[in-house]
Amino acid sequence: MNEPTPKGNVFGRVAAIAANTFREAIRDRILYNLVLFVLLITACAVLLGDLTDGQEARTIVNIGLGAMLLFGVFISIFVGVGLVSKEIEKRTVYAIFSKPVRRAEFVVGKYLGLCLTLLVNTFVMGVGVSAALLYAGDATLSFSIWGAIFLIFLELAIVTAVAVMFSTFSSTSLSALFTFLVFVIGNLSSSLRDLGATLGSAATKLLLDAIYYLLPNFSLFTFRTEAANGLVPNAPMLAGGFGYAAAYIVVVITIAVAIFSRRNFK
Amino acid sequence: MINKATQPQNYSLTALRLCGFALIVILGFGVVFVLSNYVDARRVSLPESYDDSNLSFQGKRLKGFALGGEGLLADWYWMRALQYMGEKIIKADGNINIEDLSSLNPRLLYPMLDNATDLDPKFMAAYSYGAIVLPAIDRDQAVALTEKGIANNPDAWRLFQYLGYIYWRADDFANAANVYDRGSKINGAPPFLKQMSAAMRTQGGSRDTARQIYTQMRNESEDQQSRQNAELRLMQLDSLDELDAVNSSLKALTANGSPCPKSLAPVMPLLRDIKLPGGRNFRVNEQRQLVDPSGVPYFLDEKTCTAYVDGINSKIPKL
Repeated sequence: MNEPTPKGNVFGRVAAIAANTFREAIRDRILYNLVLFVLLITACAVLLGDLTDGQEARTIVNIGLGAMLLFGVFISIFVGVGLVSKEIEKRTVYAIFSKPVRRAEFVVGKYLGLCLTLLVNTFVMGVGVSAALLYAGDATLSFSIWGAIFLIFLELAIVTAVAVMFSTFSSTSLSALFTFLVFVIGNLSSSLRDLGATLGSAATKLLLDAIYYLLPNFSLFTFRTEAANGLVPNAPMLAGGFGYAAAYIVVVITIAVAIFSRRNFK
Repeated sequence: MINKATQPQNYSLTALRLCGFALIVILGFGVVFVLSNYVDARRVSLPESYDDSNLSFQGKRLKGFALGGEGLLADWYWMRALQYMGEKIIKADGNINIEDLSSLNPRLLYPMLDNATDLDPKFMAAYSYGAIVLPAIDRDQAVALTEKGIANNPDAWRLFQYLGYIYWRADDFANAANVYDRGSKINGAPPFLKQMSAAMRTQGGSRDTARQIYTQMRNESEDQQSRQNAELRLMQLDSLDELDAVNSSLKALTANGSPCPKSLAPVMPLLRDIKLPGGRNFRVNEQRQLVDPSGVPYFLDEKTCTAYVDGINSKIPKL
């Protein structure tokens, strides 16, 4: 843990690693998923008119935002778990740490690089959904969905942080599995907590309460159904969601840095 | 080193292989095409009840466990509901009476719409569709779905309009008046609701009231099917006005003991002076026949000397 203190700008080094991670993601053709997404949304816009009896706009929002989250989660998990472990397996980590870079800077830079990739991905998908809504003749929805898209990005940022944390101490496949389970349980935690309150068992209630507070509560970022009805998340929801995500990410990345700093690469 | 002498032989071998592959692919797809049609034509026909197997999930139980995809599931139930009714209507081969759809046995329509609105309580199109179609199947279910919509969306005056419509169709004018009255008190409710409340109390069963209700529905419903239904109902009202005039003219023609005419042509001069509601005119096709609002000539029953809507060819719903 006694790392030499590198001289120079910390932010500059983190930004360099983040930019490199972003470039690597582009080189790995991560953004190719956008082609599939565009095809899906185009098909929805063209075909859903008859199937939904004129309700194509709300269905485009439900399918579009659902796909946005699903594609994003797959990227977060499968790229996120490889961010650190791949560097270790390929032994490129030695080359990086032979330079004046702290392990914390490496983890944070990697994380921010993937977040940037997800931001670009989510933004382009959002533009695709908006364009499909304009095609379907619902200009109001094409603007009002952006609050829900922002919340989706926050959810993805948390999933990525969890994936990075698992990848600092576990194998790639196990990290992917753990992160996926956290994503599923995090989406259910609010319902599980309500269920615990009705079961009458104190131990179960305690367990489900612990899950609710320890695992990310993704229900805070779930606004897709409401967005399909033209509702817009209010400022407290957006600001509170941002604050929650930022706090949770700081905690998870700190744990990741702590584990990674103690890790022996020999 | 490449042996030049064997090169043409290699090329021809490659071409032969490519042709072989292409032949296998084409033949393969040919076999797939034939077998697909063969199996499809010999599919074991399923009992009718198969289509109506009970729903696997209940919307209210799924809620909270759908990873935030409740809206998408609601859309799925919505599309299933539309397809379910569509299939029932296609199977009935046009022999349907939109006043009473119970002969189609669409017992899953309510659970599907109920699920859709459990998963997305703000799904107005599902409430609207239920309010228009369910009264012809089960009025209590129509009331239950719309009441649920009002409980979930107390500010949606349109749901009060639908509930008033359901009561009106059941000739329950007192309840209809109350519901329209409740709806008219919501902020932003159109004056139409207040007018309907009064109309229900004074002339609930009149054609004018019906015309107002269906005109509103055609102009403002959330789903196409409800708008089409309202359009058909308006055509039906128009045809009723037209038939009243035609039949009274027929009566006038035969009043002095004259035989019933073979067609409606002799009636047409008498219709010129008759004013239809809203200043409409009678419609005539290219063959100078008197036609109903869907463009199909009226049918004249010479025995009773009465004109009717052509029950087979006309789109206008039967009474």
